[in-house]
Amino acid sequence: MTATTAMQAPLGDAESVRQRKRGTRRISPGPMFVAPFLVLFLLLFLAPLGYAAYISLFQQRLIGGTTFVGLDNYLTAVKDPLVIHGVLRVARFFVIQVPIMLLLSLLFALALDSGLLRFAKFVRLGIFVPYAVPSVVASLMWGYLYGPDYGPFAQLARGLDLPTPPFLSEGWMLGSLANIVSWEFVGYNMILLFAALRAIPHDLYEAAAVDGAGAWRIAWSIKIPTLRPALMLTLVFSVIGSFQLFNEPQLLNRIAPNVIDSAYTPNYYAYTLAFTGQQVNYAAAVSFLLGLVIVIVSYAVLLTANRRSAL
Amino acid sequence: MTVIPSKAPESPRRKLDQRRSTPLTIVMLAVLAYFLLPLFWLAIASTKNTGDLFSTFGLWFSDAPQLLTNVKDTFARDDGVFARWLLNTAIYAGVSALGAAMLAAAAGYGFAKFRFRGSGAWFNLVLGAIMVPTTALAIPTYLLFAKVGLVNTPWAVILPSLISPFGLYLMRIYAQDAVDDSLIEAARLDGAGELRIFTTIALRLLAPGLVTVVLFTLVATWNNYFLPLIMLNDPNLYPVTVGLSSWAAQALNGGAGANSDMLGLVMTGSLLSILPLIVAFLMLQRYWQSGLAAGGVKQ
Amino acid sequence: MNTFFASPPTTRRRLLAGVAGVVSLSLLAACSGSGGTDSAAPAKSTTVSQADIDKAMATPTELTFWTWVPDIAQEVALFEKKYPAIKVKVVNAGQGAPHYTKLRTALTANTGTPDVAQMEFQYIPTFTLTDSLVDLAPYGAAALKDKFVDWTWGQVSGSKGQVWAIPQDTGPMGMLYRQDIFDKYGIAPPKTWDEFAEASRKLHKADPSVYMTNLAANEAAAYHGLLWQAGAKPFATTSKSDVTIDVADEASKKVATYWGGLAKEGVISTDPDFTDGWYAGLNKGKYATWITAAWGPVFLSGLAKSTSGKWRAAPLPQWDASAPASGNWGGSTSAVIKGTKNPIAAAQFAQFLNSDPESAKLFATKQFFFPATKELLADPSYVGLEPEFFGGQKVNQVFADINSTVSPTFAWPPFLDKVTADWIETVGKSLADKTDTAASLDQLQSRLTTYAKAQGFTVQTP
Repeated sequence: MTATTAMQAPLGDAESVRQRKRGTRRISPGPMFVAPFLVLFLLLFLAPLGYAAYISLFQQRLIGGTTFVGLDNYLTAVKDPLVIHGVLRVARFFVIQVPIMLLLSLLFALALDSGLLRFAKFVRLGIFVPYAVPSVVASLMWGYLYGPDYGPFAQLARGLDLPTPPFLSEGWMLGSLANIVSWEFVGYNMILLFAALRAIPHDLYEAAAVDGAGAWRIAWSIKIPTLRPALMLTLVFSVIGSFQLFNEPQLLNRIAPNVIDSAYTPNYYAYTLAFTGQQVNYAAAVSFLLGLVIVIVSYAVLLTANRRSAL
Repeated sequence: MTVIPSKAPESPRRKLDQRRSTPLTIVMLAVLAYFLLPLFWLAIASTKNTGDLFSTFGLWFSDAPQLLTNVKDTFARDDGVFARWLLNTAIYAGVSALGAAMLAAAAGYGFAKFRFRGSGAWFNLVLGAIMVPTTALAIPTYLLFAKVGLVNTPWAVILPSLISPFGLYLMRIYAQDAVDDSLIEAARLDGAGELRIFTTIALRLLAPGLVTVVLFTLVATWNNYFLPLIMLNDPNLYPVTVGLSSWAAQALNGGAGANSDMLGLVMTGSLLSILPLIVAFLMLQRYWQSGLAAGGVKQ
Repeated sequence: MNTFFASPPTTRRRLLAGVAGVVSLSLLAACSGSGGTDSAAPAKSTTVSQADIDKAMATPTELTFWTWVPDIAQEVALFEKKYPAIKVKVVNAGQGAPHYTKLRTALTANTGTPDVAQMEFQYIPTFTLTDSLVDLAPYGAAALKDKFVDWTWGQVSGSKGQVWAIPQDTGPMGMLYRQDIFDKYGIAPPKTWDEFAEASRKLHKADPSVYMTNLAANEAAAYHGLLWQAGAKPFATTSKSDVTIDVADEASKKVATYWGGLAKEGVISTDPDFTDGWYAGLNKGKYATWITAAWGPVFLSGLAKSTSGKWRAAPLPQWDASAPASGNWGGSTSAVIKGTKNPIAAAQFAQFLNSDPESAKLFATKQFFFPATKELLADPSYVGLEPEFFGGQKVNQVFADINSTVSPTFAWPPFLDKVTADWIETVGKSLADKTDTAASLDQLQSRLTTYAKAQGFTVQTP
């Protein structure tokens, strides 16, 4: 390990030595490559973020203008029951939906990679396509499918003399949302894992097959362990996605406006504060607070996962 | 160890390939049917006229399917603005995807192959920044953009989409794995400049990962709805997502000016807007797998 | 003939001379003539002179007009024909909420605002609060008062005689009902709310799959129209910073108890409106009536084609049969936005668009708007229409008659979005969940009072 680092570390220095010998002094190459990205990042991402952080320190009222309030907005947000309930709700969502979604993605990826499947390319594309559907369209689709009167599942249940599944009721809502999110992202994660599987050298399989291992055993002992880094990647992005949940509740708000209230998830709450209540400052504070929660949860998840893998 | 991902060589697998499992196939086809169900509904809905939309069974055709008429109407509506929207989307998504991939490739290469002060901090900052939800921050972003006169221009949509933290993460890992240090050293000794090394050697090796970032950014920008909604006022600049939602608003909300006939067009338009993405996937599938492989296997 | 705009011979000659003469100036003017920028219109407490108006209307100008009305180019063309120097750029910046959001953000950023914008009646106080509308009275708008139906003028007028916008179309509320369903179950169109309640029970008992009506639990606007009918006065803005919030007054409680009761009994449904399921319900006869506004008939004919011929229109059931009243749901105006560089031209445009008889008639016949002008409401060619969808009934006449019973004194709050959102989460929710709707009013009252106070208002409560 040290050998490689020793090789890599002085690269920049060797270059500058050579430059001094030639008498020229150019910009260090590392920063030159990252500069375009970082400059844009600074201007288009950090600047608005910074500005938003700045305005989160103020309060703007419809009557009375703008006043500086320091960290008041943050203190209010931390104690705000709507924020707390929202965070708990997305936490619950994360704990239920993400393992199921990743498990399904893993199973499907393994199935695709196993070679046991006919029409694999077709299946691969079909499960991925939902990711490409814009949520504007998805809301129309799911509005129909979840419909308690004329939706197909409702009609099927009526035909079989069973009670209509209450997809849009309060008790089922989180599950219905989880269904939509999984529908959208199982394919995305599946492809990520599938591609990682494709990179495993196949002599490993040959050796295992020679030893008498069947497809299941190969999957368990070779494929899954090698997938650990890929699973970490999907896990982190799933944390971010679940805690920032916004599109799907907004989509269902049209169809079930009395179950999905304006503070259903913290991100939705921030949106409502900014656009409906004209409370842009408080909305910014809530957004940053949520960001902080996500950072904490992400690191917690990564630490736990890494500790588990070390055992 | 450098892992240069490639397509799976066929020979060692033929032994496993030969035994196809029918039960597994059936299960996966059932899974596929579930995933395609909503899209199937959309396809069926696009063949109906507005009257039939709500009076016939959703998952099967009406008596008088009129897909071609609907498609024609969709393109003819509002002086052909739908075609304009598709074109806008293609431009925004295309430019953003290519630009984002290039920037991420350069930055990923820079982070992977060079050590410089603060590189770790910068890298973590980028990843940390995406953890703050930007939905409510759209207004401050708008105000900032308005100050520099960017609002209501295509740049308001393209510029923010040029930053892909996921792309950066991927490209860095990919650069570490796919671009051999010895190659770079050899080129340096030959007297090649850093930029030359990057463009002639590294990019070629990074190509599969590059295409991956292009693809994922393409989808993300194609489906981008919230940002263009806030930044754009002129319907001629809308991407197809915002355009369709404005039609949907006209069809679905009450009040004067509501025109329920638009609903059929919204359905058909939605279907049409997904097709280019599917085509893009099919074409880029090959590179796609290889690119993601490195991102997955190495940390 | 519209005497206000008839130009005397001298002015006409001056107009032609002006157009011919300012060719070189037009380039300069065109550059500065687009959209709203920082220079606000000078505050005018006195009337703008006719001479100034004429001069402005002869100066080449480009106006930006934000509206979501489809095919409005025809009406705009009439204006451009009359004032060839003025070009109007029509922009559809979204319908409803996105339109207002963009307007707000453009106003905050002080750039990109339009000269004229569509503004629904209920949003006017929200924008006058932030001083975002230009008072049209100095530009001659006050003279238009008698052209428009009284309550619409009340909606656009300020407490000090300001005219904030010109009414374009309206939505007086009535009841559309399925004649065939009524006939089948022997129900007569109810004239009072008591009769309506009785009919609901009878209908639902006879056929549990049919509901007398659907009171959407997310449609605050329709509900407020019913409050309007009942004589409730939930909001009042006495001065810029004083607001009265009284959403639990007697009339409001009466309405809430009534509908909450019917919802609890299960004889009406509370499905969200304008959704897939709701459209299907209308098509399949799940709802026997639709309590809606005057734009409802056209809307219904579009999306419930399979039920053509079966619907009829009637006034709303009444609380007091001897004093018929109604409310309003929807309808828009044209307002001039602060920051416009061309206030005179913009004001003239807003006025022309909505009060010129030919333009107003186009709105009624091409876009099927329900008129706001008295003239059209008395026009037999409009009110005499007998659409087949309604079995040949003179639907427009029904709504025209209803129009005169809409009270002119209903006021909207200066923060409408918040009220709508909170209504859905309190009253709407109680309707959907079948809990105590009258109690939900107290919840709403406290939520709105807290919000208003936090926003710096001085809140008067009864």
